Amino acid sequence: MRELVERKWKLADIGRFFKNSFKAILKGQFLLRMNVGKYFVHIVFTFFLMTLVIWISLMIEGTMAKVEKNKKVIENLRIENAQKMYDAESLMRRSTVEANLGRMGSEVKEPEKRATVLK
Amino acid sequence: MAIIRNRNGRNKRDRMGFVLYMVYILVLIVWVVVIFKLFYIQWFWSPDERIYDALTPKITKEEFVPERGDILDCEGRKLALTLPRYQLCVDCTVQKKAHRQRADSKYKKDKKAADEMFRRLENDWKKEMRETCREVSVIVTGKRSDDLYNRICAGREEGVQYIRIGKPVDRNAYNAVMNLDLLKKKGKNYTGLYFESEYTRRYPYGTLARRTIGFVRSNNIKDTKNNHIGIEGKFDYELHGKTGVGYVRKTDNGKIRDNDSIYVEAVDGNDVRLTINIDYQEIADRALREQVEGRNDIKGVTLALMEVRTGAIKAMVNLVRDPQTGVYEESQNLVVGRRNEPGSVFKTVTLMSVLSDGCIKSLDEMIPVGDGTVEGTNIKDQHIKDDYVAKGKDAISVIDGFKISSNYVFAKLAIDNYYDDPEQFLDNIRSYKLGAAFDFDLEGLAEPGLPELAKKGRHRDKMNPNDLGRLGFGYVSELTPLHVLTFYNAIANKGRMMKPYLVEAIERNGETVKKMGPSVLNSGICSKAVADTLNRALLAVTSDGTAKWSLRGCYCNVAGKTGTSFGVVPGGGYQTEDRRKYYQSTFVGYFPAEKPEYTIISTLYSELSLTDSSLQGGGIPAKAVKTTINGIFNIDPAFREVLYKAE
Repeated sequence: MRELVERKWKLADIGRFFKNSFKAILKGQFLLRMNVGKYFVHIVFTFFLMTLVIWISLMIEGTMAKVEKNKKVIENLRIENAQKMYDAESLMRRSTVEANLGRMGSEVKEPEKRATVLK
Repeated sequence: MAIIRNRNGRNKRDRMGFVLYMVYILVLIVWVVVIFKLFYIQWFWSPDERIYDALTPKITKEEFVPERGDILDCEGRKLALTLPRYQLCVDCTVQKKAHRQRADSKYKKDKKAADEMFRRLENDWKKEMRETCREVSVIVTGKRSDDLYNRICAGREEGVQYIRIGKPVDRNAYNAVMNLDLLKKKGKNYTGLYFESEYTRRYPYGTLARRTIGFVRSNNIKDTKNNHIGIEGKFDYELHGKTGVGYVRKTDNGKIRDNDSIYVEAVDGNDVRLTINIDYQEIADRALREQVEGRNDIKGVTLALMEVRTGAIKAMVNLVRDPQTGVYEESQNLVVGRRNEPGSVFKTVTLMSVLSDGCIKSLDEMIPVGDGTVEGTNIKDQHIKDDYVAKGKDAISVIDGFKISSNYVFAKLAIDNYYDDPEQFLDNIRSYKLGAAFDFDLEGLAEPGLPELAKKGRHRDKMNPNDLGRLGFGYVSELTPLHVLTFYNAIANKGRMMKPYLVEAIERNGETVKKMGPSVLNSGICSKAVADTLNRALLAVTSDGTAKWSLRGCYCNVAGKTGTSFGVVPGGGYQTEDRRKYYQSTFVGYFPAEKPEYTIISTLYSELSLTDSSLQGGGIPAKAVKTTINGIFNIDPAFREVLYKAE
């Protein structure tokens, strides 16, 4: 029982692990030492995906900014359209039409008799 | 890394391997620096507040205001829409500081030269602004002047940063100012001119139907009881839309929506399509103004036009005279909000009641005139005394009494037929929907007033004969013009009483969301025979009675009734000591009498006035009705004359 709980590693092993890891990093052999060389492509792909996510986020931010700018453009166009609509509508008032026709020298006036429909 | 082992088993790096190794080391160093920097920034670095503000993305909560729906007439023309108004403002001190700094930095030690340069820069700026200010004045105030320039110069001396110029202008003026050369090239940071915008409700047809369209006032305004007026008020829940809310983030590219936070889009309001035809509204408005403008003895005048088959209100004019200016404005809705004793137009109600109850069989039935005083009452009729009693005639037919609008005849009809059972008469009136307010598309439809039966005394459970007689010819009760119009419309519609309505549909982007349409108040207030009999009586009024002269020259036959009642004067009674009265006169009818398309009512409320025939129902109201009918008759498709080609 005592043998089972007996520690098989020393504290110095941790220090050695960090030292070896550091050396391996310096030599560029960390992944090989970890024996994950066969997953190298996956690791590279993970980094690629991370980069892609960051890049897409920036792109989205740019697009969103464009959307906001376009919203303002649309709002301006909507106002322009509403103003034109208002101006046109104001000109459609019967008294305004009559006054404008008079000013332009036209003799067209309000009908003096009802319309006749031929069938 | 490529490693070549030599014969002794020692590693020998090739040249390429060495280069790659160096690159690797470099990247590693950068990586380590970045990691350390990250930890440092995260845990130990505390930035300057300005840098912190500049670098930290600001997330702010924003409310998105929905676009308010439009109000359209029956043909889809916009009667009310929302547009921004632009207030021109100016920062008088713009560029002044920059000019000072420029001069001081160029002549650091020579103050005189620096002042000279500053003065020159200021003069150049003012020179450029002078012409621009003149052009702005033309656009904003309509006249070319140096006022704006002088104000800016004065404000510049005093360091004023904010001045409002003129009144708010529309988009066209805004565009014109923004397209001025100087503003286009150098913008507001150079000129100091900029606009503040605010969305307001605009009405392309001016004051036409303004009270019917109404408005919504801010709830913060004190001293106002009702902030929701007209269609705008009643249908605010449809027009307003739903306010959106969201969080926006400030980025290098500008403000963007923050996807990590709640974001609710604003939902724009729906459009409300009315039954009003703005052409008819204008014709009616003009017809009324023609009659009343320039007169100061009129408090207000109304006109309403209703489609017989549906009850759709096609025009509703309310002109109330401003006592200070004398101008007639749409400031109160008298058609729905004002009730008063209807006068002789109520005689039709009495006539319908006695005809429906079989009290009289025909309009030619004779009523004895006696001495012109209704027995058991103090009701006298001077017309009967002068035209019948004095000429030795002993009876008058019901139709003649209706034509000349005899109070005697209708008081007698009411007393003779309903004294024993006045409740029957009141029940009839209630079944004609003249006893209660009905649901209407505008708030404030006044409740009609009907007399109550005596609870004790000689006339217990009955009505005082004076009151009953007076009820018969239109006093003791109170009705709004809309109630009277609805009643006459039912006669035109052969007894089928349609509910008056103003809102045709709720629309969104041109598509109908909710159809409101016509509805029936009472499917038969009288039989078709009674309606035909009443039609004959009403035609007699316009062809040979009290409205004969006013309606002369009308393009089609009108069946209608005049009515004049008097309001209670200060101190009680119906006239002052100097015989002045408050006239409340009405003309109500429908046209063409043979095949009614529209019912029309015009009511006038006078100031205290001496006897004046133009203030009676056959005066201004009937004349306004005639002008309106003639205007509509010429343009309404229903009245087109059809000619068939010979085969």
